[in-house]
Amino acid sequence: MRWMMLFIAVFWMATGPADARGAENCTVCHRVTLTGKHGGLSCLSCHGNEARPSPDPASFAGKATGCTGCHRGYEGMAGHVMATRSSERDFVQRTYGRHDPAFFAKNCGECHVRSCLDCHGGNGHRVARPHDSACLACHKGYFTGAEFAGRAPREEHGRYQRGVEFQGEPFLKMLPDVHFEKGLGCAACHDMASFLSGRKSARGCTDCHRPDRKVLEHRIAAHLEKMECYACHSAWAPQEYGTFYLRFIDSTLQNQYRLRNNDGEYVKSVYLKTQDAPPLGVNAAGRVSPVRPEFIAYFTEIRGDNVSGAENRLLAAEWRAFFPHTVRRGTPLCDGCHDNRRRFLLEKPEERIYRLREDGMSLDSFWDRTGQRMVNGSFLEEKRYREMSARTPAYTKGYVEKWKSLVNRVDSSSSR
Amino acid sequence: MPIIPNSAVIIFSMLLMLLTGCTRGTSTCESCHRGIEAASASHPSCTSCHGGNDRVKEKDASHRGMYGRNNPADPETWDKSCGTCHRYQLERVQSNLMQTNTGMIKNIQLTWEGNDPRLFATRQTGTFDGAGRPLQLAGVVELNNLSGELYRKFCSQCHVGSETSNVLAASHGSGCAACHFPYNDQGTYGGNDRTIRGKLPAAASHALAALPGNDVCFRCHNRSGRIALSYQGLYDGNNSLVPTRGGKPGPAMISGGRNVVRIAPDVHHAAGMECIDCHTSRDTMGDGYAYENMYQQTEIACEDCHGSEKSPPRFSVITRENEEPVRESKRYRMQMRPGMEMVLTAKGRPYSNVFVADGNVLLLGKKSGRVFRSKVITGTPEHTIVGHGRLECHACHSRTVVQCYGCHTRYDKTLDGMDFIKKRETPGRFSETEDYRMLYPFPLALNQRGRISPVTPGCQTFVTVVEPDGTLSRNEYVARYKGKPQLRFAPFYSHNTGTRAVGCSECHGNPAFLGFGQHVVEGGTIRGTLICEKSADKPLDGFLTMREGKVKAFSAITRENSRPLDGREVKRTLALNECLVCHDKAADPIYRKRIDYRALDDALHRRLLDGNRSR
Repeated sequence: MRWMMLFIAVFWMATGPADARGAENCTVCHRVTLTGKHGGLSCLSCHGNEARPSPDPASFAGKATGCTGCHRGYEGMAGHVMATRSSERDFVQRTYGRHDPAFFAKNCGECHVRSCLDCHGGNGHRVARPHDSACLACHKGYFTGAEFAGRAPREEHGRYQRGVEFQGEPFLKMLPDVHFEKGLGCAACHDMASFLSGRKSARGCTDCHRPDRKVLEHRIAAHLEKMECYACHSAWAPQEYGTFYLRFIDSTLQNQYRLRNNDGEYVKSVYLKTQDAPPLGVNAAGRVSPVRPEFIAYFTEIRGDNVSGAENRLLAAEWRAFFPHTVRRGTPLCDGCHDNRRRFLLEKPEERIYRLREDGMSLDSFWDRTGQRMVNGSFLEEKRYREMSARTPAYTKGYVEKWKSLVNRVDSSSSR
Repeated sequence: MPIIPNSAVIIFSMLLMLLTGCTRGTSTCESCHRGIEAASASHPSCTSCHGGNDRVKEKDASHRGMYGRNNPADPETWDKSCGTCHRYQLERVQSNLMQTNTGMIKNIQLTWEGNDPRLFATRQTGTFDGAGRPLQLAGVVELNNLSGELYRKFCSQCHVGSETSNVLAASHGSGCAACHFPYNDQGTYGGNDRTIRGKLPAAASHALAALPGNDVCFRCHNRSGRIALSYQGLYDGNNSLVPTRGGKPGPAMISGGRNVVRIAPDVHHAAGMECIDCHTSRDTMGDGYAYENMYQQTEIACEDCHGSEKSPPRFSVITRENEEPVRESKRYRMQMRPGMEMVLTAKGRPYSNVFVADGNVLLLGKKSGRVFRSKVITGTPEHTIVGHGRLECHACHSRTVVQCYGCHTRYDKTLDGMDFIKKRETPGRFSETEDYRMLYPFPLALNQRGRISPVTPGCQTFVTVVEPDGTLSRNEYVARYKGKPQLRFAPFYSHNTGTRAVGCSECHGNPAFLGFGQHVVEGGTIRGTLICEKSADKPLDGFLTMREGKVKAFSAITRENSRPLDGREVKRTLALNECLVCHDKAADPIYRKRIDYRALDDALHRRLLDGNRSR
């Protein structure tokens, strides 16, 4: 007994200042150790008053009063798109939600910021700056983030589920972003101030970099004036062509789909995923930017052994300008964009490879803009495309110079 | 006068026999198998093919002595059945690659480090090699290593010598019947004989298919190179199982749980030509010699019908009535006759359905009877570009080339797998996963003819072996090839031909066509963006890297004399872009001779490119 008392006393002292401080009675029952940034705080500095303590003081449901008491001005995070997911909600409302009002709740519940602690540290008693893994818990798959570290989503079929896993999902190894290679994390560009002000990031490319005028492409005025840096400097991006949600209600047919996550009411599949350089369009700022489908959405509902309603319904064919986080010093060559109709969704019928209509998919081609639309910008006008592909003297001169400089570097004695 | 009625009886019964097709009708076989289709008019007797006894009524007694259960064309009995009449064909088929599978087994050995200098076949075979020298092929049952296991448990399903059943759209009979008695998708008999209707495995009908349709070729050629898929405009990549069809995975399903979607078909298919309209019987059934690779057995080439850049199609005149084209065209809608000018294959033998008439090269659809006119390209500007002399036609004219990147094969000794050669389950089961599939663009390299051809992974096999105790004796292992661990690409004609060629700057301006994979260019470095898991600086979808101008190949191209392009060739290919931007027509006179790049520095070009700052 004496030993026990001694042990408790030593333990009491060792568990530190947090519990020893103030006149709080919390720790009589709650054996909690506060560490990290908040290690020196009392319980009630976050949990309110002893009479009616707040059980989850960081929750947006309670306006995160436990945090915003000190961190004034951060109340706005509850209205941030990561919490409201307004754009995803809107999309679902005008597409899948028309067929199943509960679609969003059933399929989109996972990635949703509900509390300061979702990013700022596990159980709340070890509050810290977010690590990138906190961002990547949601920013994976088709949500910008995982590609920064060189991870691309794999196809949905069982045949493609292999390789190294990250957060429980196997991925396809791709070239990572150069900033990642140099050791920069998400927070190097994204901070709380930018979130609160509604901007996507605190820093743009030109806040750190000045385009080097010695680089031929940078000497072309139109490139710098009309394009985002990342239109050329994004090496690749995850792209989904034909996103299908299949809804199964009391159907044994579901067993025939050897796809991952095939255990709920909804099963997702994608006609084609590519991980190459994405097409280009014009973003909301009027600059040429990478664009990708978000989403070319199809829907089939299967009740019992039958399809309910039309099969493979095209609910939306929407594209968005976006910033793939796959920045490299390198770029495509001239022909990667100029005179490359497919890159601007202007594919000619004779260039088509996939024959969607023959499979009942009510679009001629994913790379033909007909029947598709841009949500946050526009497709590049065909007239502008023709202009930029015209062999003007200036273009010819630049083109020859570019190839000369590359060819001059190739060592023709390289071994086989 | 008893003689007269006797003669009358004999004549009458002879007439009766003629009318009923000799023994047909009098056989006891047909009293049970009522309604069964006649194999063909020239195959009237049941017992001459099947053996057995067609005089007794009792089933067991009648079936006694039959050649096999229902397929006398199986290699076990084909010398007693088909071979008694068709000896010439049987002896060719016995050495045919589709029967021996020598090429498949050899290439699996190379990929899996079989390291056995002997050549194998599905069964022990004495034959002659391509040069006519006697050749002994060992039975693959003796190949006691991983390659043997892989062949017997995975690949041997596609072998005309053995029956494959219960595989959706890929079941087929064995021996001659594999092609000439086609199965349906389920491998069940669907004809008019009620005693066997719905039974499997069996041919869809008892009617002999003298001229096999595309569906027959599809039974096997839907994997690996997938040429039967590409030809018909089908693609099994990505395996998304969508769009659905009637609530089931779609749009159409084939073996192995794969779905196929529609892509642009081969131009020959779109025109209405079938596999056998190009491929001769010697391509498909062999010419009596045992080759080690299908490209050696295949005798046809694009140039046969379309001409080469310098010479138009060659032909020879039929002078005798027993020449092959006359005999082979017997079942065509139109027969070849002495005097006709028959176009020759690359091996110099006459086609049985391609001929010259009124200065045109015409091809007769063997089954359809349609006549197709072949466009001869000899001498046209697009085909006489100096420097393109080494290009295979399909380097430019392939619409797509199917490419499967990263083939991860697992051999698990804790599980049993069916050995289709030993016909029993033995320890060890194979399974496969994949990384990425592509159709376009596609890489080019030098093939066995020293010509520039599309290449496709062949194979990028990463081997994992699970020992009986669950430990891994090999983990994502890359086999040694030509002395070092390296992946391999194989020269390949995808059978997805287009009239429209890959554009000049599409190919010259995109290093992916040279084997660098999808990439970005940083100064003198071409950096792949789809990366091999084993190495951070190598593309998975290519075989070349360029670091500060140094071009290096890290994967091999299989087959003799094959190799990736070297630094000099890469440089030359890219240099053309300096001209191509203005001289973008094939007919341009600069392409009639070797390009002189110093011309860029002459007064005219300097004036045109005024202000050009580079050297």
